[in-house]
Amino acid sequence: MQLEATDKKIIARLQGDLPLESRPFAALARELGLSEAEVVARIQALSDHKVMRRFGATLRHQRSGFASNVMVAWRVPPERAREVGRALSAFRQVSHCYWREPCDDFPYNLFSMVHGRDEAECRAMVAEMAQTAEAEEYDLLFSLEELKKTSMRYFDREGEIHEG
Amino acid sequence: MSTLLDDTDKAILRAVQSRLPIDQRPFAKLGEELGLSEEEVLARLQALKESGVIRRIGGNFTSTALGFASTLCAAQVPQEKFAKFVETVNAYHGVTHNYRRGHEYNVWFTFIAESMEEIEANLARIAEDTGVEKICSMPAREMYKIKVDFPV
Repeated sequence: MQLEATDKKIIARLQGDLPLESRPFAALARELGLSEAEVVARIQALSDHKVMRRFGATLRHQRSGFASNVMVAWRVPPERAREVGRALSAFRQVSHCYWREPCDDFPYNLFSMVHGRDEAECRAMVAEMAQTAEAEEYDLLFSLEELKKTSMRYFDREGEIHEG
Repeated sequence: MSTLLDDTDKAILRAVQSRLPIDQRPFAKLGEELGLSEEEVLARLQALKESGVIRRIGGNFTSTALGFASTLCAAQVPQEKFAKFVETVNAYHGVTHNYRRGHEYNVWFTFIAESMEEIEANLARIAEDTGVEKICSMPAREMYKIKVDFPV
């Protein structure tokens, strides 16, 4: 999808927090000189083209019963990466799963984030996943400290809307 | 925390964490789907934000669809260089997630930029500025899942 300047301004705004009001796109439409219907149609197009992969609320896991998570690095032969990646992804406790270029001295190539109520539940889940996906070589990387967690800000400069 | 949520809160959370209707009046539309008034949906969402259950309501974008490159980086950072390294890395706005993990590679962060060349140049500069030489970058070949919904 070819993004126009207006789309970038809309993206810049939607990556922030949507105002909790009856017509949350009204102010944005006014600033862009568009109708609300046009803004909504552009947002729909961003969604249809998968530029926007989700539109909704982001929850804090710790407060919704999933206090623990672990990054699991798996080492699988490249020819099995897709099959194993899909098998791991089928677990609802897995939020992210990627096949990545491995590093010289860190030869793991599949990465998945696994969530559970506590560390024990995460470990048990990973053991079950390993068996189901037939991937026995893996390493658990529990997070000890969150050093940064933000959302990427795309097109921040393009998104500046100058009044007047 | 979850025990403080009633069934209506949970129904709203289940719905909005996967999809808010794309509509001129999204909260009215959501209310229609759940059998609630627009006012009630807005009031409950406001309360869920104030109590911290909801972090943000908005869009999540695919970096590659926007023409950006991204990678997962891991670094081996000795204790005496840790604070400086974290400060240096976190200063990049393309570094969105960063965790200390229990491994020889003890710092793991994601890096998004306009191109892979820009990411590599930044990693080289980080290595130079911090004296941490073991930084590896593992760009994605294929993505199988990215879904941050949880049972509520």
